[in-house]
Amino acid sequence: MPQLNPEFFVSQLFWLVVTFSFLFVFLWRVSLPRIGNVLEKRERKISEDLTSAKELQVEASKIQETIESQLKQARADASELIKSSSISLQDKAQAELNKLDKELEAKIDDSAKAIEKSKSESVSQIQEQIYEITKLTISKVGTFNVSDDEIKKAVSSTERSIN
Amino acid sequence: MAAKDSPLKQFEIVPFSNTEVGSYDISFTNSSLSMVITVAVITLFLTLTVNPRSIIPSRMQLISELMYNFIAQLLSDTVGDNGKKYFPFVFSLFMFVLIGNMVGMVPYQFTFTSHIIVTFALAAVVFIGVTILGFVNHGIKFFTFFYIPGVPFYMHPLLIPIEVISYLSRPISLSVRLFANMLAGHTLLKVFAGFVVAMPFFSGALPLAFIVALTGLEILIAFLQAYVFAILTCLYINDAYHLH
Repeated sequence: MPQLNPEFFVSQLFWLVVTFSFLFVFLWRVSLPRIGNVLEKRERKISEDLTSAKELQVEASKIQETIESQLKQARADASELIKSSSISLQDKAQAELNKLDKELEAKIDDSAKAIEKSKSESVSQIQEQIYEITKLTISKVGTFNVSDDEIKKAVSSTERSIN
Repeated sequence: MAAKDSPLKQFEIVPFSNTEVGSYDISFTNSSLSMVITVAVITLFLTLTVNPRSIIPSRMQLISELMYNFIAQLLSDTVGDNGKKYFPFVFSLFMFVLIGNMVGMVPYQFTFTSHIIVTFALAAVVFIGVTILGFVNHGIKFFTFFYIPGVPFYMHPLLIPIEVISYLSRPISLSVRLFANMLAGHTLLKVFAGFVVAMPFFSGALPLAFIVALTGLEILIAFLQAYVFAILTCLYINDAYHLH
């Protein structure tokens, strides 16, 4: 078996030491630090990205909150405005209506008074004429005498039926 | 079977030069060439693929990172935080054995991990290093490693020699495991290759199919043995930190 032939043992050991030492030193000093750096760099980048993503998320949720609170505020303002303006409008309308009512009432009153006045005027005219007619009729028929006071009394008693 | 057709012929060392320093022969051989190729493949691959140092890795860079993470994970699982110091060594060891095995799978290429002297030297480095580490960490208390607590006292005369022997046989088991696996696998491939030639007509197709299947198996074993070598090294380092 060639493995047990000691002829080349020293040569094999020598070249093993040379090649393996070179490999060890090269990997130790050059290759492994490079790979390690790349892995570390990647790790750092990932964790940085994750942190910044988290920060951005927090910021975004803050902005969202602001938007929501502003929206809420705006809604509240709007409903307040609607309420107050509708109240003031109602008040105005009420005032307007009241004023109109008063005016109408005043006009009705005036008209009622005018009617009352013209009515009483016409009643007294009618009574006057009835008195004249009655007096004339009595003087023409002339069989009995009636005093003016009696006629007036009789005419004024008709006032209720005329009304 | 003639000696030149022996399945073991592939393990013969052929010197390319005849260099002697003092009385030592340090000729550059096919074994040395394999080692140089292995180291060149590892260093070039790990350097060139990671050269862009991109945050989003290319496929080749991903392979290098996978290997890095694989061994880093292995060390942190077995040794824990103490293991980080030994990462370059364990990584070099793993890559050297793995790529050495893989280079050996290339036809006509010499497999230096099939030589007991090479694997034993690697295992001896691990063994001696771990033993020194144990004494540095625990001083004379390191000998209590052989004393198993919680065992009846009359068992100790039996158990302590067993523990000592098992500790001392670590470099042997570590090196023979790798060496024997490589030796057996490559010999088997050669034996079946001999059948392909020896069998009449087209019946050689059957051993050829076996060779294809065995090559797949050998690639698996090449990886597995490198992994076993690395994980045992990790476990030994762990033992140097944590006695029983």
